Amino acid sequence: MTTFHFMIVTPDKILFDGDVQEVIARTTEGDVGILANHTRYAAILKTGALTVKMENGDFRRAAVAQGFLKVSDERTTVITTAAEWAEEIDPDWAERSREDALAKIEAAQNEPDRLERANLKLQRALNRLSVSGHNTGTVQPPKKK
Amino acid sequence: MQITKAMELVASSKFRKAKDRAEAVRPFFEQTYKLMAEIAAEDPYFNSQFVHKRTENEAMILVVIAGDRGLAGGFNSNVLKIAQAKIDELKAKGGNPVVMPIGQKAVDYFEHREVKILKAYDHVAEHANIYLGIQMAEEILDAYKRHTSIQNVEIVFTNYVSPISQVAQSMQVIPLTNLAGNHPRKCAVEYEPSPEAVFDKLVPQYVAGLLYGAIVESFASEQAARRTAMENATDNATEMIENLSLQYNRARQGAITQELTEIVGGANALE
Repeated sequence: MTTFHFMIVTPDKILFDGDVQEVIARTTEGDVGILANHTRYAAILKTGALTVKMENGDFRRAAVAQGFLKVSDERTTVITTAAEWAEEIDPDWAERSREDALAKIEAAQNEPDRLERANLKLQRALNRLSVSGHNTGTVQPPKKK
Repeated sequence: MQITKAMELVASSKFRKAKDRAEAVRPFFEQTYKLMAEIAAEDPYFNSQFVHKRTENEAMILVVIAGDRGLAGGFNSNVLKIAQAKIDELKAKGGNPVVMPIGQKAVDYFEHREVKILKAYDHVAEHANIYLGIQMAEEILDAYKRHTSIQNVEIVFTNYVSPISQVAQSMQVIPLTNLAGNHPRKCAVEYEPSPEAVFDKLVPQYVAGLLYGAIVESFASEQAARRTAMENATDNATEMIENLSLQYNRARQGAITQELTEIVGGANALE
């Protein structure tokens, strides 16, 4: 199968830089699959799972936070604030950040900005838990009281 | 001397970590900027409030990044000098500067000056992450959207050039004036949901990447400056101790010689 150059760029590191067969990402408009020779394309990514079919045909999953997907002639790039491979996620750490996020939501009930940030943090934690296979229940943030 | 030596060692180890972080964020920032520039170049009638130039000489938001501690040579004063010059310049034209100080030294400095503070951050640089950048970016962009009198947003930070050279400088964050000029080619790209929506999401990520990058870059510069300052302090102290030891030994030897001469002189007088 034809491969193409793919990169995952985060502020902390370049998580992946190499050739792949297929990339499946979750955009705000729905899931998209990118194969080689895709038309030039750019979309907004939601916090969610990213599936990559490697050069050898193996599938790898990663948890990605909000960001962008960009397809150009040379390469496909995911630019995101955070990304980890499923097997590299520490479930204890993700669980702690979920609890931390819930506490922050509790504390920020009357401040929309802080509540919004805490909600995004919760989404990231839940996404990590679900991608790493340690889903503890609901993926929806709790409703505002 | 032990204190300055210890500070030098602490600064070197912090410096290495900070430099790695500063280098890691660069590709992220560059990719974000490139995507933004491509969208702006795509459409000649492209219109965003973040690209448009506003009327001059009204208000300005100045983000000033200094350190949390002193004893780092001219690190803090160089940044504050540039910031103060910007403020004076705008005030002379009748403008209204608003400051966002980052770092204890910047917060202390602007507390006692006649400027408005948008929001102050102290002791954040060492453990900064991209989410701090996003939070700051949202606060700044919110203010920019709400107040059309704000002509631009500038940032004053310290650029790390080499272990012995760190340069304080200012940079315009918003408006993104020369964005469209960088990529004149037209390339048909599909944007979802729309070019405008993608661009509006990109701007906060761009500003966040820029702020976070500037914070870690400044932190690395601060540690490098402190390391150099403390190295010099240690060298000076060593030299001073050597000189003083020499003077002390001379004085001691002089006193002994004097006493001996007196004893010998006294003994001779008795004979």
